[in-house]
Order: sequence, then structure tokens, then C-alpha cells
Amino acid sequence: MEAWEKKLIDHLESLPQVSPGESFSSKVISSIRAEQEKRESKRIHWFDFKKVLAFSLAGVFLGLMLLTDLPLSPRLETTNGFGYEKVELVFCPSSQNPRTVAVAGDFSKWDSLQMKKVRDNCWSVTIQLKPGHYQYGFLVDGEQWVPDPASLRQVSDGFGGINSVLVVENN
Amino acid sequence: MAEWEDREIINQVLQGNSQLFTLLVEKYQKSIFNYVFRLVRQRQEAEDLAQETFVKAFFALPQYDNSYQFSTWIFRIALNLCRDYFRKKKLPFLSLHEPIGDDENGELEDMIEQQAFLDPDGEILNQELRTKLEKAIDQLPLKFKEVVILRHLENLSYEEIAQVTGLPIGTVKTYLHRARKALRKELRKYLD
Repeated sequence: MEAWEKKLIDHLESLPQVSPGESFSSKVISSIRAEQEKRESKRIHWFDFKKVLAFSLAGVFLGLMLLTDLPLSPRLETTNGFGYEKVELVFCPSSQNPRTVAVAGDFSKWDSLQMKKVRDNCWSVTIQLKPGHYQYGFLVDGEQWVPDPASLRQVSDGFGGINSVLVVENN
Repeated sequence: MAEWEDREIINQVLQGNSQLFTLLVEKYQKSIFNYVFRLVRQRQEAEDLAQETFVKAFFALPQYDNSYQFSTWIFRIALNLCRDYFRKKKLPFLSLHEPIGDDENGELEDMIEQQAFLDPDGEILNQELRTKLEKAIDQLPLKFKEVVILRHLENLSYEEIAQVTGLPIGTVKTYLHRARKALRKELRKYLD
């Protein structure tokens, strides 16, 4: 190291240190506390917002479940529950011992619902329906369309066949 | 020993004894304030930036990598805040990665008054030299000023300066050499 450089370094290192004010550290601690409070209050606001949002969404969901037919949850098996009536359809066909019996109607968008054999040559299914009129029929062995012999209400299906009419009333 | 103590304090703060952070503030406030003040040259701004440095450090403690010294880490926070300050103020700021050109040494000639009077009284001469030296440091490009202050006023090693500034050690040495040459150019009358 050259002489000038050493001299310069000596001068640099002898420059006085500049000190902060006496209350510096207490100001820092106050700033930290203020910042902590600010962050805490932000966190609480965000937490409240999330709580309000969750309750609102739950309310909307519950409203949709109760007031609409949207398939938002499995239907509860409770009579008169949420405006639905439990209806048991029983079918005892004239043909002896068919292999399968199903019911289809506008309540199932004409998809067949398998029925359960409840006694000799009799099949049954229980469904939940809102009060109203529904057309339906039974499907024996997957191919024979049979109107409900126990129902007196029948209408033409428009294709030369007959549908039974189920009337569900408000109990 | 000092670093072990710092880490002990940090662990305690992280475990919830946040009031112990005061010990770190009291230990480093002078160095940090001195460093920041010498960079920004305004007392109030320096106080604000130094305070912000400690507040930022407090909230960043969970991310502190204790393979580094706390002192290096907090100098780095201070330096970054100063760089942001210069950016926001749109004050002259030279990129740390800019190649050092010979013309930069010439900047001082334009910025520093060339009148220097040698006085037979040594005390007055020293006072005058100190004033000139302070002024010459102040007029250095920021990238030089950062390393000169860390090295010669804060006594950091080359490696520590490299960690604080994010520069390779070789560049730190180069900047220091260039800075000293620039200072010599302004203070030749006192040094040669």
C-alpha cells in the first residue's frame, strides 16, 4: 500500500461517527408496535371479511336448497320435508314373476327407476315428489310398457299407448 | 461471542420475547444511522430510514438466515432502503453493475471546489482536510460511496461488504481502489 493510500485510510477511519438522537431506540420500538397493531387490525378485518363471506355463501346455498329444485343435495327421506311428499308406488303385474320391474315417469325425466320385490309378484318403490300431476308407467322385463292398473287416471302418451297419472297432493 | 449473542436474542424474539429486540436496536443503531446518514446526508431522512431499517428487520426476522451475521443482514436492509430512497427521489443513482469508466473519476473535478489552502496551523489544516474529505466522499458515485463507508467507517471486511452490497468480492476491491484514487485526486495536496 502506498503512503498516500495509508494516509487517506487513516483520515477516513478517523472521521467522526454521526449518532442518532437519544430517543432513537424508543422511536423504533414505538414504530414496531404501531406496525404490529396495524397488521393485527388488517388481519382481523380480513378474518371478519372471510367470516361474512362464508356466512353469506352458506345463506345463499341454503336458500337455493330450500326454495329451488336445483340438485344441490340428496333429497331427505322425510315426509313433508321441504315441500316434498313421500309416495309409494306398488305394482302387481298380471304376468307371473317377471325378472325386472321398473317405473318411469316425467318425475324421473322418463329414466327407469328399478322397483323392489316386496311380496309375491308385487314390486314397490318410494319416491319423493312435490305436489302436482305426473305421468308414469311401469316397464316389465325392460320391454313391456304397462300403465298402473291401480290408477284410474290415464292419458294417451301421444304414440298410441297409455300413461297413468299420479296426483300428489299437499298433506 | 457477539454473534452468538445476536442469535440468542433473535431466537428469544422469535419465541415471543419481542421486547429483547431493543437490545439489537441499541447495539446497532449508531452504525446503521451513521451509514445511512453518510449516504443520504440529511439528518431527518437518515433517522426515518434507520428506523425503517429496524422495523423492517423486526418483521423479517422469521426469514433471517442465521448463516449470515445479523450485522451484515441489517446493513443490507439499510442499504436496500437507501437505494429505494434514491430511486424514489430520482436522485442520481448509478447502477452497481455499470462498468467503471475513467470519466467517472473526472466527475469530482467538476463537483468539488478546487481552492484548498494549506495553513501553517496543523489543527486548522486537519479541520479543512476533514471538511474536504467529507465533501469528496459525498460527491463520490453512490456505488463507490456505499463500499467506502462500509470499509473505512464501519470497518466491514471485503466479504461482509460483498454480502451487504450483493457484489462479488473482486468488484468490491475494485470499487474501493477506484474510490480511493478518486479521493486522492481531490485531496492530493494533503496526501502527497
